[in-house]
Amino acid sequence: MSEAPDPPDDALMAALAVRQLAALATLYDRYGRLAYTLAYRIVGEAETAEDVVHDAFLSAWRGAAGYRRDRGTARGWLLSIVHHRAVDLLRRRTAFRPVPLEAAVERPADTDTAVEAERSVERAGVREVLRTLPAAQRRTIELAYFGGYTQSELAALMGVPLGTVKGRMRIGLQKMRRALESTR
Amino acid sequence: MTHVLEDLELYAIGALPEPDAARVAAHLTECPGCRAEARALAAVIDAIPGTLPEREPTPGLGARILTTARADGAATTAPRGIVRGLLTRAGFTFAALGAAVLALAALDLRAVQELQAASAERDAFGETVRQVSQGGRWWYMAGKDDFSDSGGTLIASRATGRAFVLFHDLRPLDGATRYTIWLVNTDGRQWSRVASFPPDGRRFQAVDVGIPLAGYDRCVVSLERSDSGPRLGRIVMESRIFQQ
Repeated sequence: MSEAPDPPDDALMAALAVRQLAALATLYDRYGRLAYTLAYRIVGEAETAEDVVHDAFLSAWRGAAGYRRDRGTARGWLLSIVHHRAVDLLRRRTAFRPVPLEAAVERPADTDTAVEAERSVERAGVREVLRTLPAAQRRTIELAYFGGYTQSELAALMGVPLGTVKGRMRIGLQKMRRALESTR
Repeated sequence: MTHVLEDLELYAIGALPEPDAARVAAHLTECPGCRAEARALAAVIDAIPGTLPEREPTPGLGARILTTARADGAATTAPRGIVRGLLTRAGFTFAALGAAVLALAALDLRAVQELQAASAERDAFGETVRQVSQGGRWWYMAGKDDFSDSGGTLIASRATGRAFVLFHDLRPLDGATRYTIWLVNTDGRQWSRVASFPPDGRRFQAVDVGIPLAGYDRCVVSLERSDSGPRLGRIVMESRIFQQ
């Protein structure tokens, strides 16, 4: 007997909105590792990162009815919850040292699906662009996204005017955007 | 209409301070052009986590999430026949919890029999679950090392203003030892003893937290031989408490 195909994200979110626990389990299987990777990168501690992921998935569980497909993918929605919770925690800490961007290592996909292959190509393209960005642009993006710094904090931290922060951010993200769009 | 294109990169990455972020968000609800650009930038930001070298959480994290979600009001599960047959007027019972676990296909026959036997306790558990289903907050404590099969959910009920810990699978202890719940403040210098109690042998056990959670950063469970005094024993469960 053949196995049923994995449900698409939209179907999972619809099931989550009506409190199907199996949908939450599948969502975790699909994105739990990535969510933990992101949380760990931001907060820098395994136990705290797991707490962040736990709270983020519970927030998704409770708020799934508010998810709107036209505002972005389920993956993006979930990771934004993880990101916000992790950064919020980071901002409330008294001592924080930003961790340099780690060199990314290609990890073999667990499933050999067309979707995974497509995502691998996208990840490789964006990762390569990030790696080759000028240090100032990469650092600006890294400090903002993983460090939770606001625009004025970035300007103060990097010793540059606010306009320079905006310019570095725009140019860096534009390059990443072109890389992403070129793989689609 | 003043467009917000210049702010969209910082908005997308979360680097705008709150008043500016709110201004941009309000504009996006009215401007299709800026909204389309914001959506494209969000897709770029969404790609950033995928560039990181992957890390594995502990194997128990998924189960921990599902355990908390099960206690979080009326979770629905398949197959429908089992759930319909076992629901009580409370809407969510321990039997429904059992059905949820069955739907995840995570149990063997012995575990199913244990759940069916434990369903006789649902009246006592039902009151606890009704408090859980009132929309409060909770934090899960996973057991450590040889206590890894045990756990507890610290629950702050919104309806009653009462906090308690709902433990599962507490291990038996020798006669003089007690599980002791502590609340710990941010710098770790203030440890407030909440309760010392023996395991009662049931699958689930609720223990009141008689003090407010405000000002505390962690909830800890240790093994103590005294009902008073500082923490001397080994920590067997622990969780951070995220404030509102």
